[in-house]
Amino acid sequence: MSVDPLVADEFVTFPLTVDGVPREVTARWSESLLTVLRDRLGVLGPKTGCGHGRCGACAVRVGVGPDEPHVLCACLVPAATAVGATVETIASLGGPDGELSDVQEAFLAEGAVQCGICTAGFVTAATELLERHECPSRTEIEEALYGNLCRCTGYGRIVAAVESAARTRRERKDPVPLTTRKLTASLRTGPEAAE
Amino acid sequence: MTGGVGTSVRRPDGPAKVRGEFSYAGDLAAEGMLVGSTVRSPHPHARITGIDTAAARAISGVHAVLTSADVPGDLYFGLTLRDEPALADGVVRYAGEPVAVVAAVDAATARRAARAVAVEYEPLPPLTDPQQSLTAPPLHPDGNVYRHVSYSCGDPDARGVVTVENTYRIGMQDPAFLAPEAGLAWPTPDGGVALDVATQWLHSDQTQIGWATGLPPEKVHLRLAGVGGAFGGREDVTLQTHACLLALATGRPVKFEYTREESFLAHRQRHPGTIWLRHSADADGRIVCVEGRVLLDGGAYASTSPVVITNTVTLLQGPYRVDNGRFEGWSVRTNNPSCGAMRGFGVPQAAFAHEAQLDALAGALGMDPLEIRLRNALQRGDVATFGQRFDAPTPVREVIEGLRAIPLPAGPARRAPGGVGRAAEPGSVRRGIGYAVTIKNLAFSEGHVDESTAEVSLCDGHATVHTACAEVGQGFVTVAEQVARTVLGATTVEVTQPDTLIASAGSTSASRQTMASGTAVHRACAAVRVRLLAQVARRHGLDAAGLTVVDGTVCAAGRPVTPVAAAAPGQTLRATEHFQHPATYPLGSAEGGMYVAFSFSAQRAVVDVDVELGLVSVVQVASCQDVGTVINPTQLLGQIEGGIVQGMGLALMEEVVVADGLITNPDFQDYLIPTIVDAPEVVSTYVTDPEPGMPHGWKGAGEPPLCTAVPAVAAAVRDATGLPLPAVPIKPEHVALGLGAAPTVTWTTPRPAAPSRAVNIVVDEEARDAPGTMAEEGAPGGR
Repeated sequence: MSVDPLVADEFVTFPLTVDGVPREVTARWSESLLTVLRDRLGVLGPKTGCGHGRCGACAVRVGVGPDEPHVLCACLVPAATAVGATVETIASLGGPDGELSDVQEAFLAEGAVQCGICTAGFVTAATELLERHECPSRTEIEEALYGNLCRCTGYGRIVAAVESAARTRRERKDPVPLTTRKLTASLRTGPEAAE
Repeated sequence: MTGGVGTSVRRPDGPAKVRGEFSYAGDLAAEGMLVGSTVRSPHPHARITGIDTAAARAISGVHAVLTSADVPGDLYFGLTLRDEPALADGVVRYAGEPVAVVAAVDAATARRAARAVAVEYEPLPPLTDPQQSLTAPPLHPDGNVYRHVSYSCGDPDARGVVTVENTYRIGMQDPAFLAPEAGLAWPTPDGGVALDVATQWLHSDQTQIGWATGLPPEKVHLRLAGVGGAFGGREDVTLQTHACLLALATGRPVKFEYTREESFLAHRQRHPGTIWLRHSADADGRIVCVEGRVLLDGGAYASTSPVVITNTVTLLQGPYRVDNGRFEGWSVRTNNPSCGAMRGFGVPQAAFAHEAQLDALAGALGMDPLEIRLRNALQRGDVATFGQRFDAPTPVREVIEGLRAIPLPAGPARRAPGGVGRAAEPGSVRRGIGYAVTIKNLAFSEGHVDESTAEVSLCDGHATVHTACAEVGQGFVTVAEQVARTVLGATTVEVTQPDTLIASAGSTSASRQTMASGTAVHRACAAVRVRLLAQVARRHGLDAAGLTVVDGTVCAAGRPVTPVAAAAPGQTLRATEHFQHPATYPLGSAEGGMYVAFSFSAQRAVVDVDVELGLVSVVQVASCQDVGTVINPTQLLGQIEGGIVQGMGLALMEEVVVADGLITNPDFQDYLIPTIVDAPEVVSTYVTDPEPGMPHGWKGAGEPPLCTAVPAVAAAVRDATGLPLPAVPIKPEHVALGLGAAPTVTWTTPRPAAPSRAVNIVVDEEARDAPGTMAEEGAPGGR
């Protein structure tokens, strides 16, 4: 997509909702949603890692129009397409009463955080994964998170954190003794059984 | 003690990081802030015939445009040789070299102004072949050789029955920390400058900023901003000086934040290199002699090239006893990107080569790869080729035996090579298993002072720990907290943001901060404890010598006296302690050893390779590492897993591709770092033999996993394919087309070492190439 430089340099004022708060922002059309969030609105949870959609440090959940909101790289979204959008950053993902969410808690407990610059993106992507899959297989975890780069952990603790959060969530929902649950799992078909 | 040494305490900065609230250097902002931008040379080598900044200055919103003519202090900086101009000095020597810097009201204006700076270049032929650099006309007044190292030990002409030799190549690896360089500088009322920056070494930056600004150190105030990874790539100065110069010139705060592409251009890479090795061994696999030659491409400016080459050359022997050998190496100047520190610091290069050689020897002799390594394993009391006696625990056999005890992964791999694309055909997938064992020196070497200072205070059970140790993600903040709990019985601990108000902690590199700053914190805590116990003794009429701190409680003969938190109500007890390792000496010195300490590591990699497509999937890496003692099991595992995956990246995919001096892949589209799909299962075990002289027996652990993973993964791919694969990264075409020469195996008439030459170390160093002079605080000995 090429943008007419004259149009790209034009400022425009438009509304969007960030972390539940309606905002109005004045930005250049050509700016990315990441620039809008960080530089125009001071929303610093999404991080700048590569600026071209390869590292996932800027992952946010965006809903535009009638489509189901989904996680994407804010650096790849032109401000022009974010008009009226609903954006949920890492700031929306905490637990009730300012507590950590189960995913955040698991990232801490399992040592999935080192320098942390990728963490908000990973937590965002992992949270969406667990909303869709109660019991994701290792392969499903990889497929959900391979757009997020981490240079510190080697990913082992991140996988452990997602698996642990999924386990905790299932246990909370379905407090069945462990032995029974194992048996049930082994009777299931599909990717989980292959794990 | 809950939360003490030995437990998996959570990171104190973790909650802010998972909430996205932790402040990184890129998040910094200030009232009235200007934004900096850098004009970089598009040429790898050119003479600058003119710079016209008038058009840039004329742009509305531009506050300053600086060139080398505007640098008030000494233009030259560098970690060792001080050969690099803060802004180009009439010549540019690499593509991306800063020529001018701009400060403007916002990023877009700054970028536009940077484009408006008119620089006239007269391109010169770039020197991009390090081999040619040795004989080419000098690219710089300081010459083309950063350091030449040459020595021999024993009788280098001794021979066993078999000799294997080959030439190995290692590509240029980018540290690729995920948060690009950023910092915010502002002028201070004392006429000085302050800088919040993501760095590995505050005091080194402070010194180098002082040179360019002409300010004394006490007027250059640094604080650590949140650091998003480092891996060596933040050891050198990049934007630090520019931000400070602009802040002083404009009287305003100035922020720099590099793009990913600039980050590739601006920071130092891992040295690419060529290593020739010849090993000779007895029929039973015992190494008789090793000869090695190394050529590292240091790129345009010295950075730490004089130090890195010595690591590579001296550790060519690997974790094996080598009585006879001849070793030589050069790190040289070219017009390629500058290389410097990256996790492993010259050792991954050596490890890749010596481990390929051990496998070649084992292959020639029909031996098991682990057996030949066990047979040659260094032991405590052995003397290194470079003359140092291994007088601390040297558990090479133990890490190999520990590795052997880890079962192989059962059953087929979860996925085929090719990642989510699943391109591999099951019929052409072969499994391979490879082993590697490595030695890594820990801490600074060859007389570079390795020290740190900590100030600890305690009030009502709350401890505050202050050091200048840069937390870059590795988890020093957690270790410091654990030490304060264990030694002092603190209930809560705050580790304050590092700054230059306290003495230098040295760089967060060389696997050294637990040993250096951790020990300084331990000592300061112990000193505060002495004061605390003296008070308790007075108050309770007890003998202080009989008091201890156990689990947050002061005890006399095992009986609780008072909780630490209530021992001295309202009083703040404080102590500042310094730690410095015993001195080290240059290679060849008769006074003592080159290195502070060593760590040993053994790994086994299991890979699946599609031999037709050249796609590799690393199924599992098992590791057994000599770690002294385990301070925090979860954090340690994080270092092991992270190091292994970075090493795997170098082995299989990561390479900064430089063509005619230009980086062709300065982004994550084309520079591939491992993703979650590439990451293998890691099984990690440890040998814990406490390091003498260190509190809790700890030692550094961050670098060995990377050093070992490179040769282990390469060996596994060789095993799967039967190809020699003497270069990393091993790219699909290397496998699919079978590129690379096999080692030459020669059967020889044994020639025992001449006894008269048994333990002589001969150092033959050219006089002009003095050992690296990173003497005080990386503050070099000047030009």
